[in-house]
Amino acid sequence: MAIPAEYYLILSFALFLIGTAGVLLRRNALIVLMGIELQLNGGNLALLAFSHQLGDQKGHVFAFLVIALAAAEAAVGLAILVGLFRSRQTINLDEASMMKR
Amino acid sequence: MNPANATAAATYSPPVGDIILFAIMAAWVVGFALVTITRRNPVTAVMSLVATFFGLAAIYAALSAHFLAVVQVLVYAGAIMVLFIFVVMILNREEVAPLALRPMRLLGVVAAAYLFFVFWKVVSQGVATDVAPPVVPETFGTVASIGDLLFREFLYPFEAISLLLLVAIVGGVVVSRSHQKEVAALRAADYRKQVEQLASADYPGKQEEPSASAGGHH
Repeated sequence: MAIPAEYYLILSFALFLIGTAGVLLRRNALIVLMGIELQLNGGNLALLAFSHQLGDQKGHVFAFLVIALAAAEAAVGLAILVGLFRSRQTINLDEASMMKR
Repeated sequence: MNPANATAAATYSPPVGDIILFAIMAAWVVGFALVTITRRNPVTAVMSLVATFFGLAAIYAALSAHFLAVVQVLVYAGAIMVLFIFVVMILNREEVAPLALRPMRLLGVVAAAYLFFVFWKVVSQGVATDVAPPVVPETFGTVASIGDLLFREFLYPFEAISLLLLVAIVGGVVVSRSHQKEVAALRAADYRKQVEQLASADYPGKQEEPSASAGGHH
């Protein structure tokens, strides 16, 4: 496909923005984690678009490392969520405020 | 927000078929991403996130990143989403107030608006839409060429990622493990120590073999 790189950049920008909105506006910790995944994917798309435009494959390696990082982040984040649910019976982020007092 | 609405370039205009295909994929990705963050039911959100990742894999393939497209489907749509679905099944709770906009949170909205503004400035200036994308070689983005780069130039980051994954595995198990057995064991040890002290207090002279069973029949 012969699409200029700017279109891909606008799409990645939209994806990152949607993810940010999910992180900032939602109170369900699961949805917040999904928003973080969307943000990481937006960054990946920008990396791949630049990589394609410059004809340099290093962006692919960076995107690969970001995917591995996202897997680790999801595993630890969901484990923390399960621990939070065990101790407080909630996954609402507004109620998880025991370190504020 | 849909890139297909942007005006066609003057000197270079992409083929109409490509534009239509890209518009379909972009609308798919953005639409399912919006569904993900707006649904109240977490299962619906996870399923639309899977759809988003499949659309992104198609876009990666359009950027001739074949290896990354396969990895996206395998790791994201496969592994991470299964993890999400399991956690949703464990903690299925109805949300009371999904979108809570309180005064403090309005600050976050302002920050997001500023982020939008900065991004828009970056995207709209400097990058030209009328430049034809370069023709990449046949081997661009294949497993062989990515593997060559990964195992020669980026060997240390690759090994560091393996260490990170190990730490994530151990951390995940430690954090999410149930502590009931340990609490029970600690309680039993406390009880044993109390019995032991009682036994030694009764007979200060004899202290051979003070155990839980010996404490019973003196």
